[in-house]
Amino acid sequence: MNVLDSQTSITRRVALGAFGAAATGYAFLGGTRRRDVPDGRIMLDYWEKWTGHEAAAMQTVVDAFNASQDRWWVNYLSVSGLDRKAKIAIAAEDPPDLLGLWHRNIPFFRRSGALLSLESLGRSQDEYASVLRPILFGDVQDAAPTTCSSIALYYDRAMFRKFGFDPDQPPATIPEFDDVINALTIRNTEGKVERAGFLPGDPGWWNWSYGPFFGGHMYDPATDQAMVNSPGMIRAYEWVQSFPKRWGLENLRRFQGALVDNPSPYRNFFSGRLATTLQGPWVAKFMQEEMGDNLMDYAAAPFPVDPSVQDAANPHGSIECDVLVVPRNVRYPEGSLAFVSFLQQPENLERLASGHGKPSPLVKPSGSFLAEHPNRSIEVHQKIMVSQNAFAEPFTEVWPEFSNSLGAAMSQIDVLQATPAEAFERVQEEVQAQLTRAASRRDLRESQL
Amino acid sequence: MKQDGFLTFLPWAAPWLAGFMLFTALPVGLGIWYAFTDYTLLEPPIMVGTKNFARLADDPILGTVAWNTFFFGLLSIVVGTVLSIALAVLLSKPARFQAFWRSAVFVPSVLPLIAVAAIFKLGFDGELGAANRMLGLIGVEGPNWFGSGAWAWTALLMMSLWGVGPAVVIYLAGLRDVPKQLHEAASLDGVGSWGRFVHVTLPMISPVILFNVVIGIINAAQVFVIPLVMTGGGPGRSTYFFAMYVYDQAFQYGDMGYASVLGLVQFAAILVLTGLVLLLGQRFVYYRGA
Repeated sequence: MNVLDSQTSITRRVALGAFGAAATGYAFLGGTRRRDVPDGRIMLDYWEKWTGHEAAAMQTVVDAFNASQDRWWVNYLSVSGLDRKAKIAIAAEDPPDLLGLWHRNIPFFRRSGALLSLESLGRSQDEYASVLRPILFGDVQDAAPTTCSSIALYYDRAMFRKFGFDPDQPPATIPEFDDVINALTIRNTEGKVERAGFLPGDPGWWNWSYGPFFGGHMYDPATDQAMVNSPGMIRAYEWVQSFPKRWGLENLRRFQGALVDNPSPYRNFFSGRLATTLQGPWVAKFMQEEMGDNLMDYAAAPFPVDPSVQDAANPHGSIECDVLVVPRNVRYPEGSLAFVSFLQQPENLERLASGHGKPSPLVKPSGSFLAEHPNRSIEVHQKIMVSQNAFAEPFTEVWPEFSNSLGAAMSQIDVLQATPAEAFERVQEEVQAQLTRAASRRDLRESQL
Repeated sequence: MKQDGFLTFLPWAAPWLAGFMLFTALPVGLGIWYAFTDYTLLEPPIMVGTKNFARLADDPILGTVAWNTFFFGLLSIVVGTVLSIALAVLLSKPARFQAFWRSAVFVPSVLPLIAVAAIFKLGFDGELGAANRMLGLIGVEGPNWFGSGAWAWTALLMMSLWGVGPAVVIYLAGLRDVPKQLHEAASLDGVGSWGRFVHVTLPMISPVILFNVVIGIINAAQVFVIPLVMTGGGPGRSTYFFAMYVYDQAFQYGDMGYASVLGLVQFAAILVLTGLVLLLGQRFVYYRGA
């Protein structure tokens, strides 16, 4: 052994010692489980997407369940990238006992046979808002709602009054809304936008949803056909494109790129830079957190629609729903179902909805739920939720791909690179090909059964 | 004796061999098999022959992601090579705190990419970012970086330069290997410093440049984390890259079969490009020992 070797070589004893130390360390410190689970309880892992006050609201329901019986113990875990991780866990046959998904995940998981039936809960479709029924029920019920939302137009009542609009009579049609937008928008002498009456892309979470307000639909579930280039869709996005046209693309970019100190996605509305915004009911909770006692005098209304589709009794609005499912191959289906059943009791659903600041997924919420709700406009959201004109994203397993195609087209529309007719012509082709391919894959699977 | 050596080698190499078999050889083998199947991840794979390969011909997104990846690779390799050679030349000169400057160039590449991408995303945020605040200090109104394709590309390219440290270290080693006599001879012949750099230094470090370019091609073809975190592929599909498309097909759209085909295409493209660069290298690279 030369001098260099004697300095750098590792003896067998040292190497074995290092391996031994690592193994001992892992045995004592690695892979530890929760130690606060009472003796005799069987632990159920529950993967959910929420953090912060939303997770805390679900934790109160979990705590109530854990206290209500002495057999099961639900362990709530906030998991990021939940749907992708769940696919891998289910494929590996090691799924969590309870899984909180988004409603848009359901078609893929349902078609893949990844969900256990919840039929034994004995719930009827009629108990839930009609827009939720296709989400929760396939051949049988296989998903249970946790919290659901409807999206509405939020506005500052004080600002409405200041500019001569009646805050109790918010705009109901697009022409009325355009008048409000133009009146509330402030531009300086150089044309720069200092306050926008409304911006279709702020916060940008529902850019797909403008079609139905103009009578357009992107997808026909009955025929499994894409309808992205239907006249209503094109009219809707011509209206969306009218914003960079009326104020100037560069002015809008500057408005959206202006320096601010608040990272909140609600900052433009809360600070008054944006007079009205498309938002979910939870915004009231965030307003309380951010503004405290200086709460804005806000109100919500159904988003205005084209006069041709106006229906005061059945307002238009998009909905979204978080759902709880039991994946196939769970270790203790009985325990998982016990928790789902507990959560579906109206008082628990309402406790959770109230904690999130959302409406109830049930057709008939209790009077106390509405009266004590943290969002003063909750009845507007509740009305949209049960409306015949409530709508969700196209309920198909190709939605992630569909949404990618749609998003790319909308970016072009936003920056005036293409007219809605041109952009949607391409999307129509792409999406129809996606739907045809998905149908062919379904046929292939069925032929193998 | 030989058998004794093998028996000693085996337990020491076994952890690596096991890792290689489990995490490289097996996934590659499965990927080739899945390319011939319809596989949703949640259901068993079904053989479909070459159907997934046929889909390549009429995939409207493939051209976009291939072009974006190629163009990004070209730009990042050219800009990265120029910058890292320039930094290496600077760092090779005697200077105060030389060790500090060398560490400062290398240290950023030690940080996890995902964390750096998240920091850069915030830094380039039109409304909150440090980039626009700094531009504001000199009276320039910063752009909405992720609101247009051109600015998003600029931000991504600037971010890609963050990791030039390892290349700089390799160039530094290459520069130390350039014989001083050649520089002295060129000086005696009246060649200036730029001439010596072009006609002496560059040819002498050309094998190192080739090595870094090959590594750059492999890395650029797999660019994923930075655009995924910073732009998500947008706006439109202007920063949508090949590896992101493979990931989406596999884990977002549930089409493991087509994702596997795309993975094989990516592998073939890297192989061909690397082969081409090595062929070109035979013409332009000077090997002293050859």
